[in-house]
Amino acid sequence: MSLQYLKEAVSNDDTEKLIRYVRLHFGDGSEAAGKKEIDKAWIEALKLLLDVPATKREFILQTLAENDAATLAHLFFHLHFYFVERSGEWIHDGRV
Amino acid sequence: MDESKENDSPQLRPGLWATVNERYPGSMITKSDFVPLAKLKKPLSESRLTFVSTAGVQPKGSLPFDTVHPVGDYTFRRVPADSKTEDLEIHQLKYPTVGADKDLNVIFPIERLQELAKEKIIGELAPNFFSFIGYNMNPEMLEEKLAEDIAEAVKVEGSDIALLAPA
Repeated sequence: MSLQYLKEAVSNDDTEKLIRYVRLHFGDGSEAAGKKEIDKAWIEALKLLLDVPATKREFILQTLAENDAATLAHLFFHLHFYFVERSGEWIHDGRV
Repeated sequence: MDESKENDSPQLRPGLWATVNERYPGSMITKSDFVPLAKLKKPLSESRLTFVSTAGVQPKGSLPFDTVHPVGDYTFRRVPADSKTEDLEIHQLKYPTVGADKDLNVIFPIERLQELAKEKIIGELAPNFFSFIGYNMNPEMLEEKLAEDIAEAVKVEGSDIALLAPA
């Protein structure tokens, strides 16, 4: 099973297999595209902070402190797509 | 799929199929038992029909399907069978929606089914159709939770026929 495939990768500490899966997920089947998508999200996030705008750091700390790790992991995936969409270069066929 | 043929398609990106087996290793549900299709017990013109789709179609304002989760979304949405297409929207990432954005019926033929019911070719439509997204990496949850939940919901509404359509 696919999920079992991923869990085995975790058990075997097969990080290459895991990150490849993430890249394929983000790249809709293209590992190169997925890698670029990850870079794109980080670049977009970085650009937003270069002028050191005021941010709601209390909110961030509170969110991190008050939520379980799985919820934060889910949020991490949401944030990826948020910044990719915000970059204006949307490669996916559908929409979130 | 042959790569050259794939590249002829304006809707598929090159290389899309090259990794499909790696992305979904062993994700197909295999059955050792043969499950025959249920026979229709009355004519179509006297039957109540529902529609079950993997298109990710949902009423506007309902909780969007979780298209970002790496393992999938195992929930479904009820789509009232008398919905107007302008009151529906699609949330999914894994198939092209260019055609469906112009005419939802190409992926979710709700108006065609409404017409067939009005013409009495179909007896009637069930109160709701059912929709979910096809990106689900846990076949057990897909079969034992999502499919069971939808089957129960279909049963409660007394449908004689469930029209199934993958996106």
